[in-house]
Amino acid sequence: MQTEIDAHNIPVGCPMHDAGARFRPFVHEGMYDLFAELRATVPIFYSPEIDYWVVTRREDVIAVLRDHERFSAVNATQPVTPWPPEMLQFLVDQGFTNESVQVACDPPRHTRVRSHVQGFLNPKRLQSYEAQVRDLVRGYVAAMQGKESVDLVDALTYELPARTAFLLLGVKDVDPRRVKAWTELRVKLMHGHPSREEQMAAADELLDFWRFSCDLFEQRKRAPQDDYPSFLLASRGGDDSKLTENEIKSLTFALLLAAHETTSNASANLLLELLRRPTDWQALVDDPTLIPNAVEEGLRYVSSVVAWRRQAKESVEVGGTALPAGTKFLLSLASAGRDEATFENGETFDIRRKNARAHVAFGNGIHFCMGAPIARMQMRMMLEELTAAFPAMTLMREQPIDIAGVLTFRGPTRLPVRLNG
Amino acid sequence: MDTQKITFSFVSPDGDRQDVTASPGETVMQVAYQHGIEGIAAECGGSMSCGTCHVVLDAAAFERLDAPTEGEIEMLDLVSSARQPTSRLSCQVKVSEGLAGASVHIPESQF
Repeated sequence: MQTEIDAHNIPVGCPMHDAGARFRPFVHEGMYDLFAELRATVPIFYSPEIDYWVVTRREDVIAVLRDHERFSAVNATQPVTPWPPEMLQFLVDQGFTNESVQVACDPPRHTRVRSHVQGFLNPKRLQSYEAQVRDLVRGYVAAMQGKESVDLVDALTYELPARTAFLLLGVKDVDPRRVKAWTELRVKLMHGHPSREEQMAAADELLDFWRFSCDLFEQRKRAPQDDYPSFLLASRGGDDSKLTENEIKSLTFALLLAAHETTSNASANLLLELLRRPTDWQALVDDPTLIPNAVEEGLRYVSSVVAWRRQAKESVEVGGTALPAGTKFLLSLASAGRDEATFENGETFDIRRKNARAHVAFGNGIHFCMGAPIARMQMRMMLEELTAAFPAMTLMREQPIDIAGVLTFRGPTRLPVRLNG
Repeated sequence: MDTQKITFSFVSPDGDRQDVTASPGETVMQVAYQHGIEGIAAECGGSMSCGTCHVVLDAAAFERLDAPTEGEIEMLDLVSSARQPTSRLSCQVKVSEGLAGASVHIPESQF
């Protein structure tokens, strides 16, 4: 084992120091260019702005994700900007008992909880939603008919995944934009850099979101339906050693975010890249069998999850650098997706790329995304329905595209298009 | 050493057969990766978490190998293509003498 490096004592002029100074964790503009440059010579560097070590190569990213014995997931959703003690106290006083049960917990708890969740969130069961999701997509696409131009984020990618999440949760008669707004706030509190005032102001809304989740749980407890919380309640069978009621509330709260946030961004990212390349759009119009691979290439080229977090449980070596227990890592999934060691001409968007599916947009190892099948299904159907309904669709290039960015997620805030060219 | 190597076959949904030679201890999923076998996605990398490395063994080979664990059996209930009596997750099947001469059938779809 090498001598462990002191993060605060990396010599100025060293490539690792230079990378840490140039990396701006919350800014997406230029991020891919910076990583393309760094990957070649700097497999890992320290970012003083967030006190994380940033991992740039796919091989190292996968090695960390697979090694749940030595790398804990406990920090995966921790607020990057810590919440003020008064806010935490207020939340506790108001009954905010959300627990880290899945994405941010380790075995054995993760194994126990996952064994229940897997009964519902699995490829076979998610496939059974195919017809309902198709109807939803067609509904949104039909609503665009007759218009000259739309913002595809506003008209489709923002809401649709939330409506799909509602199918899983059995939620009816709720405005998806209410849940989207809550979700954005929660994402900012976990992965963004809100001011103290913003954090304090957000506490009430966060509580409302939690209570919405708890109400859903209570309703299903009284009258079970064919949905996720009802399934978990049945799977628990009244036995706290299997799964507690608060764990189910927390899992429901988790799905109310995870089931749509990343799919909204991933869909918009994919559509943007395709519409920037009219020949690719035309290729999908002419041959829809190319669509599934185009979806994978979108996930590879611009993952909606640009980075994910882990923490060392013991002394470790990552990217050739020895680091002590407790070290926090930011694994750049964005960089891994373009790593030339795996992807030839990784900086080129190629809808026919043979190994596009080797991306890590859904993670790797025991925390692999359980919603991946339904995320892919939605992205595929959006492309199928849009290319069929609006084959001549073009991007309104004169309008600016803003990328809303936090530490971990990326997606355009709007996507203005002319529907008929 | 070559004498320790085990040879078995992958059979595609179309019936195409590809013989492979592998070392004991490797998983069938890893062997598939190394030989560029299509149709075994294994997206979680062998953590028994995604159900996308489903294969169907020939009955004799299935009997010769150790039985699947409870965790694998549960996951096999959830795979996309219909589960068969001799279905396995290829990330959980280690290359051993029992696999010599086996036919490892790849299902129509993993998703």
